[in-house]
Amino acid sequence: MSSRERRLFVLFASLLLVSALLIGGGAGLAASKTKIRLATWAGVDEANELQEILDNLNAKSTTYEIVQESSPAEYDTKLITTLAAEAGADLYWIGQENVPSFASRGVMMDLTDRMKASKHPAAKLDDYFGPTMERMMYQDKVYALPWINQPVMMFTNLDLFDREKIAYPDETWDWDKFLEVAKALTVDKNGHHPDDAGFDPDNVERWGFTLNGWPPVQMFIWQAGGDVISEDFKSCPVDSKEAVFGAQFYVDLIHKHHVAPPLSIIRDRGFDTMYKNGQVAMFMGGAADDLDYKPDFRSQAFMIPKGPSGNRYSFLWVGGMAVNAKTKNPDVAFEAFLDLSDAIHHWKVVPPRKSLATKEMLVELKPEKKHSLDAIVEAMNDTRSFRIFPNYAEWDSIFWDQYADPLINGRGTAEELAKRVKPLLEKTLTIK
Amino acid sequence: MQESIYLGTLIRYILTFAMMVGLSLCVYGVLRLFHVRQAYATGYALISPWLAGLLIFTAGPIFTSLGLSFTSYDLFTQPKWVGLDNYRWLFSDTLSFWPSVRLTLSYAFLSVPIGVIGSLLVALLLSMDIRGIGTYRTIYYMPAILPEVSVALLWRWLFNSEAGLLNMVLRPFLSVMGIRNPDWFGEPRFVLPAFVIMSVWGVFGTNMVVFLAAIRNVPKVLYEAAEIDGAGGFSKFWNITLPQISPVILLQVIMGIIGALQIFAVAMFARPTSAAGRFMNQLIYERGFLQLKMGEASAIAWVLFLIILGLTLLVFRSSTAWVYYEAEVQK
Repeated sequence: MSSRERRLFVLFASLLLVSALLIGGGAGLAASKTKIRLATWAGVDEANELQEILDNLNAKSTTYEIVQESSPAEYDTKLITTLAAEAGADLYWIGQENVPSFASRGVMMDLTDRMKASKHPAAKLDDYFGPTMERMMYQDKVYALPWINQPVMMFTNLDLFDREKIAYPDETWDWDKFLEVAKALTVDKNGHHPDDAGFDPDNVERWGFTLNGWPPVQMFIWQAGGDVISEDFKSCPVDSKEAVFGAQFYVDLIHKHHVAPPLSIIRDRGFDTMYKNGQVAMFMGGAADDLDYKPDFRSQAFMIPKGPSGNRYSFLWVGGMAVNAKTKNPDVAFEAFLDLSDAIHHWKVVPPRKSLATKEMLVELKPEKKHSLDAIVEAMNDTRSFRIFPNYAEWDSIFWDQYADPLINGRGTAEELAKRVKPLLEKTLTIK
Repeated sequence: MQESIYLGTLIRYILTFAMMVGLSLCVYGVLRLFHVRQAYATGYALISPWLAGLLIFTAGPIFTSLGLSFTSYDLFTQPKWVGLDNYRWLFSDTLSFWPSVRLTLSYAFLSVPIGVIGSLLVALLLSMDIRGIGTYRTIYYMPAILPEVSVALLWRWLFNSEAGLLNMVLRPFLSVMGIRNPDWFGEPRFVLPAFVIMSVWGVFGTNMVVFLAAIRNVPKVLYEAAEIDGAGGFSKFWNITLPQISPVILLQVIMGIIGALQIFAVAMFARPTSAAGRFMNQLIYERGFLQLKMGEASAIAWVLFLIILGLTLLVFRSSTAWVYYEAEVQK
């Protein structure tokens, strides 16, 4: 071996030595507390608020140090790929849509026994709202804990109601009243309302309501007494009389009654932007949305109107947190999981626990939403979420592409589309 | 202790570097043991990290995906062999697969000729010796340095049906045809034209620069000889410029086909109505990462690969009829 070759080997050996020293140093740094990685979809502001919570928990704990790994963009893809590569975080946020899919594939730790054995306040399962907790379970086992509930509320522009001398929404509102008010608040450029002679639907200046696939059409179907997936997950009764009636009412708000803008206008002007700038008078949004506490904008959240079947099912979205089934530190991860769940329950509106979802607590958490909180607390008693199963993503894709999207865009009636999509949807129920 | 979060990454970087150096030294040592000449051993040692990367990160996944296309695989559990089921599903799927093939091929067949002919014409204009031509070339190259996603967002504004620049310009023409403000990404019939119009953006930038370099490389003596023979501008372009730059046209057509068939980022950001169908790459993403059907996604990827390969071979085969290689003539 020449002297130059010998020098190269010495260089390589030195590099390895330095690496080994650094690894030793790194291991020494981490040895004091167990590092628990937390994957979230938090954006910048949310991540900063969460970091304050984590700093408090980390300061109190002698066993763990939670490290936040936030991925606001393409969170689900990143989560799936890291979990598949067995490099996933110890704790991760999860939307309700993914729980059955992940749980059935063994990526989430079964928490049932640990929950039963724990005396932590966040482990009292009977304190959680029933429909909320259901979304975090799969085949009667607990796989995650919810940390936020989002019932749909009806945000109302109070100035527009006052100007038109219309009483604010109350518990007596049903679909007929809602439609009547939406028509009264819809005005074309000549000041005509939809039922007036000479009303020009192509030149509307303000609409009473808006929809673009949100709020989900399922909510209207439920309120009409119909369903899109049966309780036993064996059929998709989208063609039932009630389901067709609910879905048709939903799209008639755009195409027949003209109280909601066409989708092209929503795309151009922005969905909630139109509500914020007074082009839409009523807007259905999540309870935590910031639509009711903007400066110089009088807006309040009310309960949504009840449907013809008498129920007022508000679509509920649930966000939760799970423990990675492959975590190397299951005990410490579970401890951190409970502490963090409890801390988030004291941060986010609406908390998923009945004992915390009181008006007093919510005023403390979000004083700026004080005027809406009675309705939000009340709405939690009448919520419903999607029926989700492991192959739900495929079902949802077909439901949207072949039913909801053409329906909203006026490419078929609810009855026609339901007949066509039903067998396609039911086929996905049988695929594992 | 924020610094401790990044320490692991730093260590992994150093370790990776050390492993690459180690690999090179091992390759060098082994080759020298077999008495390979020092210059060759050094060369192989230096390219060995790249070769290892190619095998592990490119060739490995390619052949793995081929294997996965014959399995049912959800990313989390072991793949199960299903033979040709995924391909049978694909070819019988009239809901998503065939519409996506139709949309992707239509886009490629419309956008590639427009892109190639357009960038050639722009390059011809920019090959003229006029005052300030350097500034024009810089301006026309700028689209190449803009991020694709930013451009997609910009196009969303241009396509705004109420206040978009495109509809403002087209309004007089469209009103004659009885069309009111097209909803470019909302109405299925406008989605494909919208993407083709967006692809015109590709006329400028890199393609144009490649053509410009080729045009300026055509020997002046050929034009001078043609002028002596009385050839006009079009005749010179048709008989000299086009044959001389035909290898570059071949390259641009092939790269254009590959790029058009692989459209993804722009489509994801433009978010057109699903009624228009999805491009094949979008379908791969949806089946693989949203529905956790990686076997089916792999099968679609391989069909896309075969389509690209087939079209590329077709263009190559046809090139003997229209591509002029000076070196071959000289033989």
